[in-house]
Amino acid sequence: MEIRIRNLNKDFFSEGKRITALDQVNLDIPANRIFTLLGPSGCGKTSLLRCIVGLETPDKGEIVIGDEIVFSQEKNIYLPPEKRRLGMVFQTYAIWPHMNVFDNVAYPLQTRKLPKKEVSDKVTETLRFVQLAGFEKRPATKLSGGQQQRVALARALVAEPKVILFDEPLSNLDAKLREETRKELRSFLSRLSITAVYVTHDQIEALSLSDMVAVMRNGRIIEMGTPWDIYFNSDQRFVADFIGRANIMDGKIRSVEKGWAVIESAIGTIVCQSRDEAVPGKSVSVCIRPEFIKLLTEAGGEGRNVFRGKVESLVFVGDIQEGEVRIKDTSLSFQVEPTTKIKEGDLINLSFDPAHCSILFN
Amino acid sequence: MQKTNRPLTHVLIVIVGFLTICPVIMLFLGSFTEGLGAFGDFTLKKYIKSYSDPFLGSIVANTVIFTSGSALLATVLAMFLAYLNTRTNIPFKSLFGILSIIPMMIPHVLFAVSWALLLNPSNGMINLLFKQLLGLAESPFNIYTLQGMILVEALMDLPMAYLIIAPAMSAFDVSLEESSRVCGASNLRTALRVTLPILRPAILAAITLAIVRSLASFAVPSVIGMPGRNYVLSTHIYRVIATGFAPDYGMAAAVGMSILAASITLIFLYRYLTSEGEKYVTVSSRGYRPTVIDLKKAKYPMFGIVALLSFVLIVLPIVVLFYTSLVPYSMVPSAKAFSLMSWKHWIAVIKDPISMLSLKNSLFLGVAGATLGILLSIFIAYVIVKVRTTASGFLESLSFLSFSFPGIVIGIGFMWFFVYTPLYATIWALLIGYIATYLPYGVRPLSSAFIQIHSHLEESSRVCGGGALYTMRRIVIPLLIPGVVSGWIMMATMFVRELSLSVVLSRPGTEVLAVQILRFAEDGLWGRLSALGIMMIFISTALVITASLIGAKLKRVNK
Repeated sequence: MEIRIRNLNKDFFSEGKRITALDQVNLDIPANRIFTLLGPSGCGKTSLLRCIVGLETPDKGEIVIGDEIVFSQEKNIYLPPEKRRLGMVFQTYAIWPHMNVFDNVAYPLQTRKLPKKEVSDKVTETLRFVQLAGFEKRPATKLSGGQQQRVALARALVAEPKVILFDEPLSNLDAKLREETRKELRSFLSRLSITAVYVTHDQIEALSLSDMVAVMRNGRIIEMGTPWDIYFNSDQRFVADFIGRANIMDGKIRSVEKGWAVIESAIGTIVCQSRDEAVPGKSVSVCIRPEFIKLLTEAGGEGRNVFRGKVESLVFVGDIQEGEVRIKDTSLSFQVEPTTKIKEGDLINLSFDPAHCSILFN
Repeated sequence: MQKTNRPLTHVLIVIVGFLTICPVIMLFLGSFTEGLGAFGDFTLKKYIKSYSDPFLGSIVANTVIFTSGSALLATVLAMFLAYLNTRTNIPFKSLFGILSIIPMMIPHVLFAVSWALLLNPSNGMINLLFKQLLGLAESPFNIYTLQGMILVEALMDLPMAYLIIAPAMSAFDVSLEESSRVCGASNLRTALRVTLPILRPAILAAITLAIVRSLASFAVPSVIGMPGRNYVLSTHIYRVIATGFAPDYGMAAAVGMSILAASITLIFLYRYLTSEGEKYVTVSSRGYRPTVIDLKKAKYPMFGIVALLSFVLIVLPIVVLFYTSLVPYSMVPSAKAFSLMSWKHWIAVIKDPISMLSLKNSLFLGVAGATLGILLSIFIAYVIVKVRTTASGFLESLSFLSFSFPGIVIGIGFMWFFVYTPLYATIWALLIGYIATYLPYGVRPLSSAFIQIHSHLEESSRVCGGGALYTMRRIVIPLLIPGVVSGWIMMATMFVRELSLSVVLSRPGTEVLAVQILRFAEDGLWGRLSALGIMMIFISTALVITASLIGAKLKRVNK
C-alpha cells in the first residue's frame, strides 16, 4: 500500500520554545518497497514516522494510507493508531516483559479477537518465518538482543499489515550483530509484499537496506532517490557530506561543454560531470569521494584531474589504508590498497575520475 | 492528555496536602495554646514551660547520644555486611538478602521486648543463666541503660542502612580502586583514600536516615528506656500526654515542634546526600566483574559473624517470645521449664476482649489502610512519573514530606485536628493518620514501577490494535502489579505493627496490637505479651503471603 503525505506540519513546545519538527512535508512512499527516512538526530524523521502510525497528531496536512485518509486537519479526521492496522518495530523493541514470546506475538491477533486456533497457527507460522520456532514459551526478556528484535518483527508482521514501520530498530545492537540483522531484515522484507518505512541515522543501513531513501534535515525532505542516486548524484552539499566520506572543496565554474564542467578550485582546475544548473561563473562546491582518488604509479602522469601532493598521514585499517594528502594548501582524504608501498612524507601523483567528481550547490 | 490530567494533579495535591500539611499546621497552632480545649487563644506559656524544664537538658543529651550512637553502630555494621556481600567470597550470600528483608517484618516493639526478656536485670533469661552458672548475686547485664537502647535500636535500623549502602557498594566501579592499586597504594590505603570517600554520600545518607528513624523511634525508648528512667524526647512527649493527671497537649506540641524541625532538616540533608551520591556512582555500561577479595582462612569465621547477626535479628526474638508465651514465669530453659509449659497465656489472651479487639482493629487497619493507601499511591506515582509538570513536582515534594514525620509528634498534630471532628476516637482517625505518615512507602515502589513502563510498551500495544482501555488492562496494570504488591505489603505490615502514632491516637475502643503489647509490657505481663506478639507476627506473615499469592495470580490471569 502506498502512503501519501501532503503539507504535513508539526510543532513542539519545549520549555516555552517552539520547535518545528515537520515543515511542509510532502512525500509519496511507494507500495511494497523498503523506504528509508535518513537524517541526523532531531531532523524530524521519527516525528514523521510517529505521525504516520498515529502516535503523534500533526498540526496541519493530510496522511493517506492506501485509499484511507488516516489524518486530515481540514476534514477533521484522526484515526487512532489501533485502528490503522499497521505494524511497527520500536527502537527499544517494546517487548512486554510480563509475557512470553508467544503472547507477545499473539497480541495483535488477540486485539482483533481472532479464534484461538487461528491465533496459534499464525503465531507459529510467523515465528518460523523469523526463525524463532520453538521459542514460544520462553520469557521474552530472557532472549538475546537479536532474538528480541526478531520477536518485535514477528509481532509487527503477524497480523499481516500492509505497512510496517521501523524506528531505528538496529541501533541497540552491537556492530557485528547489526550487520547480520540488517541482512536478515532485508531478506525477510523482500520475501513479503509489504511497504516498509524505515527510520535511521545510519547511512550504511539506509544504503544497504532500502529501495528508496529520503534524506531529511530540519523537518524537511531535502532529497529523495535510490541509494545509488543519493550516494553518487546528489547535488546538495549536506547530503554528500552526510552520506559516506567526502572531500568537499569550494570553487567557481569556468566553462561548461559536452557534459563536462571545468571548475577553478584551491588545488587547481577540476573537470567534473556537469549538471543542468551549472553555468559559467557560478560558485559551487566539488565533491570527490576518497574511493575515487586514484594513485598513479607512473611518475608525472598527464591528463585531466591529475594532481601532485604530499602524504601527510597514512593509517592501516585492515582492508584498506586511509590517508590524508596535501595538495597545495588543501588536505584531502584518500584511500589505497593495503599492500600499496607508500609512506608518510612521500610525494605522490593522484588522479580523480571526472565521472565521479560531482558538483554540489548550496 | 495534559488537559485531563490537570484536575487529577490538583485533586491529589489537595488530598496529600491535607494529609501532610494539616497535622503540621495543627501542631504549630496547638503549641501556642493552653490545651486541647482552648484552641485559638494565643499564648507562649507552653513553650516557656517546656523549654525551661530543668530535666529537658538531660533528655536532649540522652536523645543525642541515643540517636547518634545507634545510627553510627547500625551504619558500621551495615558497611561491614555490605562489604562482605559485595566484595568478598564469603559463602552463602543469599543469607544477606534474608538478613536485609526479614527483620523488617518483626514488629519493633516485639524486638525490643525480646531483648528486655533476655537481658533485664531482675529476671532476664541470660542474667538468670549467668547467676545460676556462676553463682553471682547480682545480674551481670542490664539492658535498661542508654547503651542497651543504642544496641537494640542499632540492630533494628541495620537492615535499612544495609539497603542504602549495599547497592552503592555494588554499583561502585572497581577500576577506580584498581587504578589506585596500580599507582602503588596498598589495600588499606586504597580503602581509606578511594573507596570510603567515594562511598561517603551513601554512608552519610545511611547515618542521616538512621538518626531520623531513631529520633522517631518509640518502641525502644518506651520498652527499654523507660524502665531504667532513661528518657529521650519521644518518651518525654509520651510522659507529658499519657501519664500524670492531666495530659498536656500544648506542651507536647511545643516540644514536638523542635523534634519535627530537626527531623525535616535531616530529611532535606538526606535528600541532598542521595542526589549527591548519584554523581559519584560510576556504573560502567559494559558488564564488569568486581575483583572479589579472597577471605582465605577468615572465610568461615566471617560467615560465623553474619550467621550470628542473622540469628540475633531474626531467630532469637521469635524463639524468645514463643518460649516466654509458654512458660508460667521467666525462667532459664530447663527440663523443669519444659514440664511447666502450657497454653495458659494464649488462652488468657484469647479470652481478653481488649486484646481481641486490638487484633481485629490492627487487621482492619492493615488491610483497609494499605488498600486505600496504595490506591492513593498509584495516582500520586502516576502523576509524579508520567505527567511531569511543575504541579506534579510539588506533589512529589509533598508526598515525600511525611517521610520525616516522627509518629508521636505527628500524632499530636492529628490529635489537635481530630478533636474538632467527629473522627475523634474512631478507627478512621488512625487510618487517616497511618496513611499520612507512611505514604512515601507506598509511593516509592509504585513510582519505580511506573518508571519501568517505558512509553514504547504502551504505544506498541496501541499500534498492535489495542485501544486505550485494552492497553491499560493487558499492559499497564499487569506491569504495575509487582509494585502494587510490594507497596501493599510494606504498608500493611507497617500498619499492623504501628506503635508511635497509635499511642497518641488510640482511645478506648480503638486499641491496636502494638499499643496493647506496650500495655502488657508496662504491667509486666510478659507471657500474655509474648502470646499476642506471636499472633501479631503470624498476622503480618499471613498478609505478606496472601498478598504475594494474589499478586502472582493476577499476573498470570491477564489474558
